[in-house]
This record gives sequence, C-alpha cells and structure tokens, in this order.
Amino acid sequence: MNITLEPQKLQQASTVELVRARPLLGTIVEISACGCAAAQTQAAIAQAFAEIEKVHALMSYHDEDSDVSRINREAFDAELQVDVHTWRVLRAARLMAEASNGVFDISVARQLTRLGFLPDHAGFPKTQCRGDWRDIVLLPDNRVRLACDLSIDLSGIAKGYAVDLAIQALSAAGMSAGRVNAGGDLRVFGAAGQHIHVRDPAAHTHTIPLLELTHGAAATSAGYYSERLHQGHMVTPIIHPHRKAACESGRSVTVLAKDCMTADALTKVVYANPRGAAAVLKSYKARALIVEHDPLRGACHIFDSQQAE
Amino acid sequence: MSKHNWLMLPALIVPAAIAAPAYAVQYQTLELAQKALFPEAAQFVRADVMMTNEVRQQIEKASGVRVRNALQQVWRAEAGSRMLGWFVLDEVIGKHEFITYVVALQPDGAVKGVDILEYRETHGSEIKNEKWRAQFIGKKQGEAFRLDEDIANISGATLSCKNISNGVKRIVATYQAVMK
Repeated sequence: MNITLEPQKLQQASTVELVRARPLLGTIVEISACGCAAAQTQAAIAQAFAEIEKVHALMSYHDEDSDVSRINREAFDAELQVDVHTWRVLRAARLMAEASNGVFDISVARQLTRLGFLPDHAGFPKTQCRGDWRDIVLLPDNRVRLACDLSIDLSGIAKGYAVDLAIQALSAAGMSAGRVNAGGDLRVFGAAGQHIHVRDPAAHTHTIPLLELTHGAAATSAGYYSERLHQGHMVTPIIHPHRKAACESGRSVTVLAKDCMTADALTKVVYANPRGAAAVLKSYKARALIVEHDPLRGACHIFDSQQAE
Repeated sequence: MSKHNWLMLPALIVPAAIAAPAYAVQYQTLELAQKALFPEAAQFVRADVMMTNEVRQQIEKASGVRVRNALQQVWRAEAGSRMLGWFVLDEVIGKHEFITYVVALQPDGAVKGVDILEYRETHGSEIKNEKWRAQFIGKKQGEAFRLDEDIANISGATLSCKNISNGVKRIVATYQAVMK
C-alpha cells in the first residue's frame, strides 16, 4: 500500500472549533466545541449555554425565584416540589455529606452570609438553628422539606452539575470534542488530551501547568479571587462545617473525577480537611492535587493523593 | 510544614519562574456576535449614544455603577422596517482583567443576551494602558486566538463576573435614560 491514511489529520481538516464565553453562575463560563460545520457547532454551543442558564435559574442563591430561594423561604413550613435537576443536585449533595461525614454540607449559607459572601435576603429565616445537612429531607416526586429553619446554598456543587449538563448537550449534538470551563470547574471529552493549568496560589495571574486531561472533569477551589478579610485573616468562601468557620486561603485544591459535579463538591471536602479526605476520594475514584506556595523557596509544592497510597 | 504531609507527599516542586504570565482570549468578532445575538437581523445601524455629564450622573444614580465613558457604542438591529433591538458594545476593567463584551437588548430594554468578545488578564498595570489594550483590538479576524496557545484551560479561581454584571446594569440604566 502506498497510500498513507492519516485519520487524525483528515478529521482535523473537516472540523470547526468554536469557543464562546458568557457571564453565568457568578463566573465566566467558557464553552468550546468541535463539530463538522460552523452552524452546527454554534447551535451545539448555544444548547450547552441553555443548559447552564437552566441550572443558574434553578439553583442561584441570589435569584429570588430560584428553587434554592424557594427552599430557603418556604420548605421549613411545608413540603416543596422542586425541579428534577435541583432534586438530583440535592441528592448528590446528601451522598457527599454522608461520605465525607458532613465535611461537605450545603446548609452553610448562614455562615457565608455572615462573612459577606452571600447577600442577606429579607425573607429568609434569621434564627440560629443547630441543624445541618441531615435536616434537609428529600422526599419522593422531587419534593423537599427542611426539618429545621436553615438556609442552603448549592454553589459548591451546582456549577459542576451545570458543566456536566453542558457537556452532555455538546455530545448529544454530535460534537467530536468539547470543553466546558465554569470558572475552574471544567470537563472535557474528545480524542485529544487537554493541558490543564492552575493558578499559582501566591501569584494569581501566574499559571502552572498541572496535568493533561483526556476525558472526565477537573475542578479547582482556591481563595484567590473570592477571599475576603474577616477578623484579621484572609478567608475563603469554603466553610468548615464542623467548626462553622471559613477556611483560610493560601493553597489551591484540584480534584479529578469522572464527572464535574463530583469533582466540584470534592474540592470543598479536600480543602476543608486534607487529612480526612483520602477515604472519600477513594470511594469516588477521584484524585486530588494540592498546590501550596512555599514563600521560603519561592516555589510551589504539589501534593498528589495518588502518590500517598 | 504542611499539615497534610502525611497524606500527600510532595510530588514535585514548581519554581515560580516557569509559571506563564498573562492570559488572553479573543472569542469572537463584533460581526459574529451581532449575527449570533440577532440571527434574524438584516442590518445593524450605528446609533451611538453620547452622554452629557448630567445623563452620566443620572445613569450612575440609577445603576449604582460608575460611568467611565461619555460615548457608548450602540447599533440598532433591524429587519426591513422592523426594529429587533439594540446591540451595545462595552468594556469593563477589573483588578486583573480587561473584558470586552456585548449586550443585546430587546426593543423594550430587556436583556436578551450577553456575550464576551475578548478577555485579557494580566499583572495589573498594563490593563489601564491604552496602548497595551489597543494591540488586541481587531488584531485577528475570525475565531478564538490566545496569546499563549498552550494555556487553553485554567482550572481554578472562580473569577467573578461581577464587573460584567455591573456593566450590564449600567447599560440597562443607559437605555432607560437615553435610548428609550
């Protein structure tokens, strides 16, 4: 045979890659897709953004009409029916809370409000209740009830879920490859591996090449763009539920998992409690990389949960 | 040293020197964004808005956002004699980022869509420098380009879109004040 086939090159020649970005979920969401024609690829990206907008509308803490706001206002008094997507995220949050022994807890909205990370809504319960994730009762037919007048916040998990839905939309639209990055929660699919960089925890505008991802998700949590000064310390919007206090900033946690919702939620578990996270990571078949700045050497240490096994 | 040492052994040490600087992406051109946000439009008619100091103050009061420029670049999207809405080009400057984006408004001023055209991130000082900014504008026609081709994916940092949200608020207030 004197004909050499180069399928990869042929494929590359006939595909169109488009990248679009929109402000959603409180961050900038970037969606990239490879399709056969520009119009088809454009339509696939529009569909993927529509999925993200759907999650945004359902699960935003800031939006008063969202399912999350309805739960916070009304679910203590009565059972409340929510969208199937909201219910799925609530169920995943519950499983994560069980697996992490409550280190992941969506009932920390009040602490976040107190630290100034979330707005103070007029209609939300004011009294301090001792409840936690166990008081969020999930009932059949997508119904929810709160056994205690707490407030929930899904921002530690919903972004990952939105990314997963967007990836499904790209794949269902026939794209050969795709990438969705919602401010650090990202997922990819397609033949070629993608290099993932993370920010230097000490110099935010610098990036460090961390890994190559061919499929699955990577999510990173760190304080750099969200940290605030609280009582003399820089704190992150990641609350340690057992201490009910914010974690201090200075390192970043990246979790690799098969889907982005899992990766997103696990970053909070590892960030709050690196010691205790090994078993949880294992049960989700996930891997964590911690980037920590060393001021003495002016370098970054990278810790890998898989190397510790 | 680290509290989690016993769990996670340091895999490698990355010296700060190899960290790559500045990150910039151009997502799409103005023309492509116009087509994407108003696919049914036949033409876009320039309808820039000049704001007097008085109007700027009025917009600032209504939106709670500072008005930096007296000129707002605006187009009217039309299909024949039918007015489809407004297409507004805007930019916001954050602490670390400079973002060019467009807002599509329905004829009644409701936000129809927001799309980011260019996103640039840097160490700070360059952002406010007109010359530095100018080097990007209109440099490449067509699809996405990156200053550093290797840095396609940054995981990490929930970079807030607060500046854009404020920008959109300001544009909606601008519509109420002068475009209605």
